[in-house]
Amino acid sequence: MFKAMVEAFKNLFKPVRTINYPAQEISLPNGYRGLIEHDHEACIYCDKCEKVCPPGAILFYQHEEGGKEYHYNPWLCIYCGECVRACPKPDEALWQSETKQQSGVKEDGVNEGWFVWEEACKESREAYAAAKKERKPKMKSEEPLCVS
Amino acid sequence: MKKTIQIPLGSQHISLLEPIRFKFECENETIIGVDADVGFVHRGVELACTRSFEFKQVGYVVARVCGLCAITHSLAYTLAAEKLLGYVANDRIKYLRMLMVELDRIHSHLLCLAHTAENAGFEALFMQIMGDRELVMEVQEAISGNRVQFDYICIGGVNRDLTSELCDLVRKNLMILSEKVEVLIGLFDNNWSLSLKYKGIGVLSLEDAYTYNALGPLARASGLATDVRAETSDFPYEALGYTMIVESTGDIHARNFVRLREIVNSIAMCRNIVDNLPMGEIQEKVKGKPKGEEIVRIEAPRGELFYLVRGNGANILERVRIKTPTFSGIPAMMEVFKGSQYADAPAILASFDPCMSCTAK
Repeated sequence: MFKAMVEAFKNLFKPVRTINYPAQEISLPNGYRGLIEHDHEACIYCDKCEKVCPPGAILFYQHEEGGKEYHYNPWLCIYCGECVRACPKPDEALWQSETKQQSGVKEDGVNEGWFVWEEACKESREAYAAAKKERKPKMKSEEPLCVS
Repeated sequence: MKKTIQIPLGSQHISLLEPIRFKFECENETIIGVDADVGFVHRGVELACTRSFEFKQVGYVVARVCGLCAITHSLAYTLAAEKLLGYVANDRIKYLRMLMVELDRIHSHLLCLAHTAENAGFEALFMQIMGDRELVMEVQEAISGNRVQFDYICIGGVNRDLTSELCDLVRKNLMILSEKVEVLIGLFDNNWSLSLKYKGIGVLSLEDAYTYNALGPLARASGLATDVRAETSDFPYEALGYTMIVESTGDIHARNFVRLREIVNSIAMCRNIVDNLPMGEIQEKVKGKPKGEEIVRIEAPRGELFYLVRGNGANILERVRIKTPTFSGIPAMMEVFKGSQYADAPAILASFDPCMSCTAK
């Protein structure tokens, strides 16, 4: 009983073990797995990151003239770093930063906005493949003409 | 006239972390019959593994089955996939994987002890243990880069290496933790009011443990010497000072003690791993597609975790079957409830350390 009272009295003067969160920043450890960052100039657009990504948080939009556009959903990403390990130019084209993603709000269109992109990227690929197919038979039919 | 009354516990209950429903058939205060329902958090993980994800990505999917033993799930799947691909990891990879699994065991056992204390009415002890648990969480976050979803193990190795600073952090935090665990052992052993809630309550006899196929700490507390770590040779546990911890009384106190002593054993193993880490690559290229069928057993914090993986040479697997320790332990758990008081049910339930999101997946 006496021991318990002494312990309770001591506890009054011990420092608190919790963090006063919004007022006090939480320190992240070195090497925290944060957002994936991309440099469009260094990227060679090989699509390897898109293929390995488990949740499908990286998408490439195919332009008709041949260029590609990188899209990334930071809220869908699980920050596993598979894309960076698959990248042929890691640290230059694609790297993992230590910044923590903030929570998404309605305006960010976390789901709806991304579904639109998913659909658009899929359609752009199909349209590009169809256009390529159309161009190829023409080329073939032209070839014999040239020979003759 | 009916002499018994039915009292439900769950699916939402103040003492439960996750949804599970028990229907107790009570005669006055004594429970005489139990019925359990566990399928409240079904997410279709097994089907997703064989429909939407390629075999290299499945390791990250199964890690989401459970927040506490994420590393054990991804390790079990990865081992099965590696066996199908005919790959054997080098010693450094094995040691690093073991380190994470043992750290996982420590923090999972601490969470269970905290919960048993809370459900027996000791809120302050709950806070204290959860505070101590942060030491392990900190180490895991520093090693893997994330607090809960470690994503540390991949097919062909591990994703991050253990640097010398991390080794120092592991040693430092485990040193502090081992002192705190010693204090906890004293507290759980000698405190009079804790013993009222724990000693002689929720007893599972050795015969019942055999009959109902108990596993993990629940079985070892009853004196049934079963541990996958001692039965399989996937990891060099014997060389790192593993000892099987067996109690004999089978009550909540014995289960707490199995967990506490396993924490001490795991801390010793983690120290051995950090001190004797062999050199080698941490990630190696594995080629091929999984073909055939493979089963893997791993000792998760709660008992034996079973994985069956079947592939047909394609990128997407044919079947992934997960059998979790809580699911296998339900018959034994239901047996423990019979004959005990209804008021003790929350504490008994917490002492099983049930993981519902694992069970329903």
